[in-house]
Amino acid sequence: MELFLMTLTTGIMVGGIYALVALGWVLIYKCSGVLNLAMGELTLMGAYVTLAFYSMGVPFVLSILCTLVIGIALGILVERIFLDRLIGEPILAVIMVTVGLSFFLKGLIECIWGTDTRVFEPAIFSLKPFTIGYLKISVVYFWSFVLAIVLFIVFVCFFKYTRWGLSMQATADDETAALSLGVSARFVYAASWAIAFMSAGVGGALLGNINGVNISVGYLGLLVLPAVVLGGLNSVPGAVVGGITIGILQNFAGTYLDAYFPGGVKEIFPFAFMAVFLLFKPYGLWGWIKIERM
Amino acid sequence: MTTVWLPCGDYHENYTEDQGWWQSRLIKGKMILLLLLVFVVIPLLSKYEIILDSYWLGVANMIGYTAMGALGVQLLIGYAGLITLGHAAFVAVGAYTSTLLILKFPWPQVILDLGLAYPISILVAAIVAGFWSVLFGLPSARVKGFYLILTTMAAQFITVDFILTQYVSKIGGRGQAFSLPPGTIKIGPWAIETDTQRYYLMIILLTFSVIIMANLLRSRVGRAWIAIRDNDIAAETLGINIIWYKLLNFFVAGFLAGLAGAFWVCNCAALSPEHFPWFWSLWLVGVILIGGAGINGAIYGSIFMVMIMEILQMAVIPLSEYESLEFLIVKFAFIKDMAFGLAICAFLIYEPRGLSYRWWQIKNYFNLWPFSY
Repeated sequence: MELFLMTLTTGIMVGGIYALVALGWVLIYKCSGVLNLAMGELTLMGAYVTLAFYSMGVPFVLSILCTLVIGIALGILVERIFLDRLIGEPILAVIMVTVGLSFFLKGLIECIWGTDTRVFEPAIFSLKPFTIGYLKISVVYFWSFVLAIVLFIVFVCFFKYTRWGLSMQATADDETAALSLGVSARFVYAASWAIAFMSAGVGGALLGNINGVNISVGYLGLLVLPAVVLGGLNSVPGAVVGGITIGILQNFAGTYLDAYFPGGVKEIFPFAFMAVFLLFKPYGLWGWIKIERM
Repeated sequence: MTTVWLPCGDYHENYTEDQGWWQSRLIKGKMILLLLLVFVVIPLLSKYEIILDSYWLGVANMIGYTAMGALGVQLLIGYAGLITLGHAAFVAVGAYTSTLLILKFPWPQVILDLGLAYPISILVAAIVAGFWSVLFGLPSARVKGFYLILTTMAAQFITVDFILTQYVSKIGGRGQAFSLPPGTIKIGPWAIETDTQRYYLMIILLTFSVIIMANLLRSRVGRAWIAIRDNDIAAETLGINIIWYKLLNFFVAGFLAGLAGAFWVCNCAALSPEHFPWFWSLWLVGVILIGGAGINGAIYGSIFMVMIMEILQMAVIPLSEYESLEFLIVKFAFIKDMAFGLAICAFLIYEPRGLSYRWWQIKNYFNLWPFSY
């Protein structure tokens, strides 16, 4: 029972980070229809940029803020250089540009920072877990979860209550109508990429705190794909539920299935789950069902 | 795209000619010259080390291996509209089936003496890879587009990162890799050891794959695939069994991938899952994006990508002699990633129809030269 609860809490905590990254993914898809396969590398970028600032002696919270700023700049840059020209192109072209982008970013990161695992030194969170009732919760997970949730609420408020957020929602809903009301679609696309870079960046910084920063953090960023498929591609609440569910599933697979399938079942399980899930519910829990006509 | 504008005065009189392999005598002559070039001239040149040496035959083998994989991807993406990002998984299945058959299967002595073990294993590997690909093609009955991409990605991670790495590689308790000692891979009396022998094997398999694909594409099956790609709902109303043809497409693509994988076995001293990363799947898709439509697109794309990497390497090595640029050689793998990413982005933005379209334009210009109408 204790093991069950511990796995559950860890799953929820990690799932919070996935939810944050998945939010960025869903935003890009909702606003500009781009299916982004470079999310893993955006996560990686965030992890390394935060690490670079932190190892220069900047306090952790401040370095996360710096990562946000750099994320905005990079997001706008990437959107302007690569994706702006591809609006209206076939889906494969847009997806493959994000793939090309992911290679470019990965190569760049490896060129600059190498492939060795680096850790945040001095450690930001104490290694001693704290206890609630009979649950032991590691400090890293707890604060990561809190930060992810706080940022998540900030993003949601941004959408609901600010002018920019509303114009993004309008574009996502109906691009033509939004354009006729004076919303600049190009601004919205750039903004959605900036936000995606920001959320992935913070997600990466938090994930990097758990096991150190190396290329495999990018793989963790890729886990948003099962998460968004589960929740439905264009649903913001779906991203949260999907992210947390994937976190929980992953940890349960690691705890309970590892005995039967030794090896990397924890890494693979979300993808296997996704493949089976797609067979039964291809549009996810809350995605829009596309009705096709000739 | 497959059609060429015929010169003035050449025309087809019936459908058989329209579907023919070699539509005019000029094309027939060009094709015979091409076959002569790849089967006779290139091996001869490398034998006497004129222009080419055996290093370049190795490069040619790499091109052939890439092209065989890319043909399968072209079949899925280019002809049936089934986008795949997990093709390396099927190449890996082919390679592992072939290796396991060679190393572990209790062959009768007769077959070993005749040196038939490897040829048989190539065929079996291709069929196994085909069925493995059908297994992961099953979701295509219900989903398409982006969702299909995700299931093929799942195929990659489940096959290579889980099944092959965690279980298959551990068969025999050797840890990570299967070593293939020299002399284990034999076709008939010849042990496949030198680049020239591999080159011949590669060119035979590649020609075989191209013939399979070209023949399928000009038959009912190929037309059904193209109909599904263009509009699957319309195709269904025309009486095409979509699921059957999609799965058949997955099978043939997997079959070609299996051939490629089984060929790769003779090219490496030890086989490990690192030969088939997700990167390789993406690379194959990148190859056909750069190459463009058609069978020739896959081949131009492979030639272009492999040669670009070779040229990059040749540029990096002399540059790294300068002390300040020494880091280039250490970081070559990463520079390769960056170059590949940039090449894909640049082609999609500036040349979205690929190399084969450019080639088609050039060819047509000269077909009608000097008086185009």
